[in-house]
Amino acid sequence: MNFELTEEQRMIQESVERFVNENYELDNRIALSAKDPGFSTEYWQTMAELGWLGLPFSEADGGFGGNQIDIMVVMEQFGRGLVLEPYLASVVMGGGAVRRGGSEALKQEILPGVIDGTKQLAFAYAEQQSRFDLDDVVTSARKDGENVVINGHKSMVLNAETADHIVVSARTSGGQVDQNGITMFLIDADADGVKRENFPTVDGLRASEITLTDVTVAADRVLSEVDQGFALLQSVANDAMLALGAEAVGAMEMLYKDTVAYTQEREQFDHAISEFQVVQHRMVDMFMEYEQCKSLLYRATMEAVSDPVAAQRTIHGLMHLVGKNGIFIGENAVQLHGGMGMTEELRLGHYFKRMLVIDSMFGNADYHLQKFAA
Amino acid sequence: MDIELSSEDLAFRGEVKQFFKDNEIKAGEDYFAWRFGWFAKAREKGGWDVPKWPVEFGGPGWSPTQHYIWEQETAEANTPFDLPFGLSMLAPILMGYGNKEQQDRFLPDIRDRKVNWCQGYSEPGAGSDLANLKTKAELSEDGTYYTVNGSKMWTTVAHMADWIFCLTRTDDSGIKQKGITFLLFPMKQEGVEVRPIITLGGSHTVNTVHFTDVKVPVENRVGEEGQGWTYAKGLLQHERTGLAGLSRSIVALEKLKENARSVVRGNSNLMDDPGYKAKVAELEIDLMASEFTELRSLASAAAGAAPGPESSILKLKGTEIQQRIQMLTVEAGGIYSAAWGAKPVGPSFARGGMAGYLSSRAYTIYGGASEVQRDVIAKNVLGLKRSK
Repeated sequence: MNFELTEEQRMIQESVERFVNENYELDNRIALSAKDPGFSTEYWQTMAELGWLGLPFSEADGGFGGNQIDIMVVMEQFGRGLVLEPYLASVVMGGGAVRRGGSEALKQEILPGVIDGTKQLAFAYAEQQSRFDLDDVVTSARKDGENVVINGHKSMVLNAETADHIVVSARTSGGQVDQNGITMFLIDADADGVKRENFPTVDGLRASEITLTDVTVAADRVLSEVDQGFALLQSVANDAMLALGAEAVGAMEMLYKDTVAYTQEREQFDHAISEFQVVQHRMVDMFMEYEQCKSLLYRATMEAVSDPVAAQRTIHGLMHLVGKNGIFIGENAVQLHGGMGMTEELRLGHYFKRMLVIDSMFGNADYHLQKFAA
Repeated sequence: MDIELSSEDLAFRGEVKQFFKDNEIKAGEDYFAWRFGWFAKAREKGGWDVPKWPVEFGGPGWSPTQHYIWEQETAEANTPFDLPFGLSMLAPILMGYGNKEQQDRFLPDIRDRKVNWCQGYSEPGAGSDLANLKTKAELSEDGTYYTVNGSKMWTTVAHMADWIFCLTRTDDSGIKQKGITFLLFPMKQEGVEVRPIITLGGSHTVNTVHFTDVKVPVENRVGEEGQGWTYAKGLLQHERTGLAGLSRSIVALEKLKENARSVVRGNSNLMDDPGYKAKVAELEIDLMASEFTELRSLASAAAGAAPGPESSILKLKGTEIQQRIQMLTVEAGGIYSAAWGAKPVGPSFARGGMAGYLSSRAYTIYGGASEVQRDVIAKNVLGLKRSK
């Protein structure tokens, strides 16, 4: 056992940290988020040039052969800056699906563009009725000669607005919640029959509701095997949850540190409010819960690298703790900032909103607790 | 002890229900015309437009039970919106400490909902520690007017208010609670500048208000110079009780269950989910207890006791209950609670659910933060020495 990052990982960490410090002042983030495309294409290019977009891809695919630990290092820093660029959607999720499930030809077609930043991917796993259940899929795909025709509706698809291709889960056989019978497809975002309704999310990112009407894709656009796509779907979701966990840990660190700093400046009753024991103990709790999340993040991430199957339960545990503690830390950061915590002017509110969205994406704290206990 | 309502109380409930039913807004009716008409009719019922005002100022003189019935029915019925600032916060101060001229000048317009008031209490450096306020009022040499300079913060609806009741500092030589003076003045005048504060839910209800050489005639001073803290303090207890919002929470809880039932899970719905159901049940139990804490407090008030520290219990419990209802609404929204912006996405309650949850985080901050309410109980009820 060893908790040290490698020399390379430390360099990436420092480089991402520097990038965030130099580029992610709150005012700049708000401005980027408000205007199209909702992030900086210039930053995206920088991320490509620095090699971050290629991290999880094998050297054969043109990447750097990294794993979940490398992604963790990047995402934790992104969480500290509330980075807007579609790293999770394009590199971790969309890229993860193609990397794990695509044919050689498909990988060669898609991945170089993902790695050099010229192509973006999105990952459409949720549906109107599915809530947090990945296996609840009613979007249908039926064979039509050499092609497949897809019909249905995908919900809350992160960064679909700017994506060139979208990975979609669809049902090729079985009942609504059967894991067998789910197939993953790569579709073109501007294909006939793909309709995107784009909107912002509460944390300043972008998502889309996607309607698929007789969308025709060639049979070689299947990722993994027909009817056997659930394992791929779950693997990508696991990578995404680990990445979100890392991002959340970065955001929690900012929330508790900002609160510790603010309470030492804010005076009421002729004392800095940090001198009141009730305030001190609350911040100690915030700090402890942050550390606990970080520990479970390390545990889940290292398990995912060494034994992905066994890691499943730990990942649910992580997402339970991250959801619960993230909201605990966020709510108390607001509370201890008083009225100032309620404004859009300080960054803590923005971190808090990100924590709420993270809790809503692949299941909230309750959902993961039930999965863990199952 | 007896939980049954008397036949008089039941008759009263029927009368209230009937009144609300008879005066519902009709399709196509102008909202503001209806609103003024509604209050006029409530007045004809014998002070129903000002339920909490004392009889000598035109109030109905209800028993605690009647107030409770009114609260319950109001929460469920579609009654016109009302703001508490003039009606529930300033009016009792004018009744208690204002002179006859001030009562005659200001109370009728408050009662008729003609003049909107805002409350100038909090400042950048005076939140929980309200007595730390610095907005300065200087009496002119001839003693006819004050000149006000300084800033107020978190001033709710200041951008829509006609007048402000304002705590100002006229003397900073002694302890903080002394030297505070209670002034009334118009908002729409030179030297008063209102700037919006946009809060986490994306809405604009609070503001900063800056005063530059605002002249206030001495006849707009309520009570004596330097005694404003005494006048304002007693009323904070009333504000706290009002902020508990229990009857609204009862209605909101039913709405929450309805929303959760609309979230289909297999052959059942979210209200059948064991974890979710347990949280809703826990909430309901706390709400049932709080309702009776409020009634006990009303009963002792009716027996002549001043509003006591139970107002702090109610503020604490009531605001936490409201926040939990909002959080459970966010949980019911699932993936859709993240959706934002103007377009509706997902179930109809999801967008408002997240906005409501974010706004609700202020409930445990304003009107005396929860930490301060606990201090009040520790000191005034448990008799503990102030801790650091």
